Amino acid sequence: MAKKITIDPITRIEGHLKIEVEVENGKVTNAWSSGTMARGFEALLTGKDPRDASYVTSRFCGVCYSVHQLASARALDDAFGAKVPWGGDLIRNLVMGAEYIYDHLIHFYQLSVLDYIDIMAIANYKGNDKDLLAVKDKIVGLVDVKDTFPLTPRYKPDEFSVNDPEIVTMAVKHYIDGLKMNAKARNMGAIWGGRTPHYQNIVVGGVTSYPDVNQVARFRNMLDEQKKFVEEVYIPDVLAFGTGPLWKLAELGFGGGHYNYLSYGDFQRDEGGRDLVFPSGVIIGLDPSNIKVNSVDTDKITESVKFSWYRENNPVHPYNGEQLFDLDKKDAYSFVKAPRYNGIPLEVGPLARMLVSKNPALIDLIKKGAKPGAVARHAARAIETKLIVDACYGWLDELLTEMTKPGFKIHDTEHWNPPEIGMGAGFHEAPRGALGHWVKVKNKKIENYQAVVPSTWNASPRCENGTRGQYEESLIGVPVPDPDNPINIVRVIRSFDPCLACAVHLIDPQTNKIKKFLIE
Amino acid sequence: MKKQKLLSASHRKGGDKISPPDIVILGIGNMLLSDEGVGVHVANKLMGIDLPKGVSVVEGGTDGFRLLNVITHADRLIVVDAIKGGAAPGSIYRFNINEVKNCPSVFKTSVHQIGILEVIKVSGLIGKTPRTTVIGIEPKSIEMGMELSPEIRENIPRIIKLILDELKVTSDK
Repeated sequence: MAKKITIDPITRIEGHLKIEVEVENGKVTNAWSSGTMARGFEALLTGKDPRDASYVTSRFCGVCYSVHQLASARALDDAFGAKVPWGGDLIRNLVMGAEYIYDHLIHFYQLSVLDYIDIMAIANYKGNDKDLLAVKDKIVGLVDVKDTFPLTPRYKPDEFSVNDPEIVTMAVKHYIDGLKMNAKARNMGAIWGGRTPHYQNIVVGGVTSYPDVNQVARFRNMLDEQKKFVEEVYIPDVLAFGTGPLWKLAELGFGGGHYNYLSYGDFQRDEGGRDLVFPSGVIIGLDPSNIKVNSVDTDKITESVKFSWYRENNPVHPYNGEQLFDLDKKDAYSFVKAPRYNGIPLEVGPLARMLVSKNPALIDLIKKGAKPGAVARHAARAIETKLIVDACYGWLDELLTEMTKPGFKIHDTEHWNPPEIGMGAGFHEAPRGALGHWVKVKNKKIENYQAVVPSTWNASPRCENGTRGQYEESLIGVPVPDPDNPINIVRVIRSFDPCLACAVHLIDPQTNKIKKFLIE
Repeated sequence: MKKQKLLSASHRKGGDKISPPDIVILGIGNMLLSDEGVGVHVANKLMGIDLPKGVSVVEGGTDGFRLLNVITHADRLIVVDAIKGGAAPGSIYRFNINEVKNCPSVFKTSVHQIGILEVIKVSGLIGKTPRTTVIGIEPKSIEMGMELSPEIRENIPRIIKLILDELKVTSDK
């Protein structure tokens, strides 16, 4: 008999996600991924001045606001016929570069590491490294007063959990160091974005404020520090875990899924955009020994609502997508739509990007026996963080050169006003994966707007023909020896870096105690 | 959309660094979900008011973890947010963070597993945790929309007065 396990919510992710699986003989045999918060902010945009879109869409999500701001600005660039000057693109890239460093570090240290270590092993640390002893004292102190958030709640450590006191204590030290680096990386984006969170500088046509040499120098200094952390801490940690204690997990390749991947391509290194940090491409049915990459045709993208709480509709291209809920719909189980490419579900994100670009470091890991699953996703994320860090240096140099040119431009002011009628698509490879915005303009106002976000691709429910989404498929066969401790499921899901935070966050006390704080 | 004053006070002081003595008023919420965004509306209002020296206003959206850089720079933090506690819409709550021990179990942020109270706790891991007071406003509607309900909007002057009073409080009571 299959046993049903529900994990609701999946903790330490951004947003609210419910995963249900059926387990038979210790393995997952079926899975359902369900976004339980209503989305559909796009409806707010209808009738608005199109230029408001980059501002409003940046409020979709408290976590990935800048990526929406950029994708939206690009959709408008397309619809308005604006041509962003190289200076504008360079600054856009630098803002997003800082986002990558920030996002990927937080995903590994703050959100993921705890799935792979037995944190209580810290108490057994017997070494005499001053820093590690300080970490031990701090954590043991927290345990003593039963105040261990954010290191708990957690799942029970299992056969794959690392319990070497030295490694665990080091990991927690890096958790704390990582927090410090996060706070600093946040300020890097603010150099160009004017403030943080919710940067202000990215608009249709380019960016809003001219850079000066001090900003370039400040960014470079901060980048130096991040680069050091990425190269000397993050990448070695991921490698040490992935090829060390977790190698068995890597070889088993839990969490592979459909083995179909998409990257829209992004981050041009040169003015013409011939050299991309992340090339574009689609892979259908990955053969790791002979990776075939096809070109992307975004006309082939549709969204199915067959199993989503939206009004019944055939799968449509995002230009024609609608946001009309039907909460009583039979068979529906998610607020997430089901994007498909030619009817096929695709994975987006770091692993997709590194496979599409045939990244040598990742290919090397795969040749050694790692399968493209949960552990490979962490590796791909670390690899591309370094690619972005290195690219940032190139962009800073380019920017300094551009700034000295007469007539240096950061914005296409000729195309600031909305067209009478138009349509446009904007694409961005966000840290979590392929992001697309589609806009239709009529009478200089937004007629329709649609965003297909990375977690929609990955967390999608089934589509018309019943094909599972990528999370769902990736869970099939995952071992769950103890139904009360579904830690492997969480590892697989978290490796995608889920973000469904495009919703509410208000403080919602569980008890009535809050009433005593009422102000009369 | 109405033109809003978007630059934070900290920005006006010169870029990404918030300089001491570091009293931060942090308005948070999602302004696309009507009253859920009350903290953001209040922050934007406060940015148009002359505040005592050393006080900066940050409009934090729903940034959770990503507000660490703001929080760790503050000695004193006043958080303005929507709070669903069951009182009449527009009701105002006020508490110091140390009055709600073990906040993650008592207070549950409904979506973000890492909510603002948790992040303030985390700040202690990398340095100081600022002395924090939360001013909460009971929402009427958290439906999609960019306008506040009348009950909430009418109460904004009162909320702002409470915050200004708060600036005069020099220690936890």
